[in-house]
Amino acid sequence: MLSSRAAKFLAVGVVVAGTLVAETKKEFHFTVGPRAGVSVMNPYGSISVKPSTNRAVVVNAILHSDKVEVDNNQSGNRVDIQSHLLPGADADSGRVDYEILVPPDANVTLHCSTGSLRAERLHGDVNLEGADATVDVRDVSNAHVHVKTMNGNVNLDNIQNGHVEVDSLSGDVTMKSVNGPLVQVVSTSGKIFYIGDFGNSGEYRLTSHSGDIEATIPEWTAADVSARSVKGEVHDDIPLLPKNHVWFPVDKGRAFAGTMGRMAVSSTVVLRSFSGKIHLRKRSEKQ
Amino acid sequence: MNCVELEQSLAEVDDGSSAEQRAHLRACPACSALVKELNSIIEAAANLQAADEPSPRVWNSIEIALRKEGLIRPQRPPISSFGARWGAVRWLVPAAAMLLLSLGLYLHQQQTPNQFAVHEVTAPAAVVKTPDLNDDELMQVVAENAPAMKIQYAENLRQVNQSIRDAQGLVQESPNDEDARSLLMVAYEQKAMLFQLAMDRSLQ
Repeated sequence: MLSSRAAKFLAVGVVVAGTLVAETKKEFHFTVGPRAGVSVMNPYGSISVKPSTNRAVVVNAILHSDKVEVDNNQSGNRVDIQSHLLPGADADSGRVDYEILVPPDANVTLHCSTGSLRAERLHGDVNLEGADATVDVRDVSNAHVHVKTMNGNVNLDNIQNGHVEVDSLSGDVTMKSVNGPLVQVVSTSGKIFYIGDFGNSGEYRLTSHSGDIEATIPEWTAADVSARSVKGEVHDDIPLLPKNHVWFPVDKGRAFAGTMGRMAVSSTVVLRSFSGKIHLRKRSEKQ
Repeated sequence: MNCVELEQSLAEVDDGSSAEQRAHLRACPACSALVKELNSIIEAAANLQAADEPSPRVWNSIEIALRKEGLIRPQRPPISSFGARWGAVRWLVPAAAMLLLSLGLYLHQQQTPNQFAVHEVTAPAAVVKTPDLNDDELMQVVAENAPAMKIQYAENLRQVNQSIRDAQGLVQESPNDEDARSLLMVAYEQKAMLFQLAMDRSLQ
């Protein structure tokens, strides 16, 4: 007869074994050429994309039940992966978690309703869409980054030399060291945080309806800056050389416009909100 | 007979009292007012003193210009005519028509900036291609395909509709404010994105 301790261990073992049996791991391999297209559509679960060391696309999928299957297809230089929900699937049983390796120059498109979307160390275009998925993109250079999200928070870190376009309804958007010829972020109620230097002689447009906009930049940043909030407050911690000619009324506390930095003006920064607060903060040495 | 045909018939020295013309003038206040204006010009012109009348060279120049523009056609064999009744001042008719047309164009151009601004305000709605769904249908799609997210979609829909209303109010207050129009465009695009996310989910 088993002791109570042994019985407990056995019970735990049965439960764990049951879980492992319910989960299925699948792996797919594809060989692609330069600038391949890789698309993943996954209603429930996470998708993580990292660079591979060769021209292979490697897909590792963990299926959480038999109520979902992974459809995969390669057509020329394009790979499509889709989580196919079977009858009776829900957010738990239909969940699939992907870890995908792609050539660094691949163009990646990820769709997810809930879960997380992550891409790092790539220099192909990255398109991420998720209603409630959190988005994390880091270390992407010389490529475009497009993000659409309803609720999910967006985090962009070290994105260089590409077009960055983020549309978020209520998710917060945080950007650290994001520079490029065009950086455009639109939010309805989500907050927008920018920590960087508005470099690359780019155009930076941060727009929200009610979300606050906060840009933390070094004092030496060279840019033409204009900020305006129709109903919210506007604060500027960095001295600006006022512009002589501004087409909108520069009401103190509601708008400011001017040039900053001692170097030749390079970037254009436009901060707009209907009722959110806009704050241009000076970055301390520690940041 | 429509308005264009009526104006042409006046220039062709048709009798303004023909049955067709009378029928149109009864039904068309604009043409009726035009004929009334022309008559008043004729009456005023009839009162010009001989000394005030321009030299024949002036009339010749006007005639040449009007013929070039096709406003004067060769006279038809007499029909008891508008021109016969109006006599020597009949050249004033097309000139008056030109003057009225020019005045109308001028007034239209004066109004154009605001109308353009208004039109530009409405442009975002036309430019942004929202799926052919209204809000109720969107929520129905979400309820069928992503019931667990119904509350989140409803809240985001409420926020984006509020942002559209706020931006519309701003544009109405300041139609020439580029930021206002931009905020309205952005609000519509955000709503379009919400629909698109819901539709993508339904396709999945």
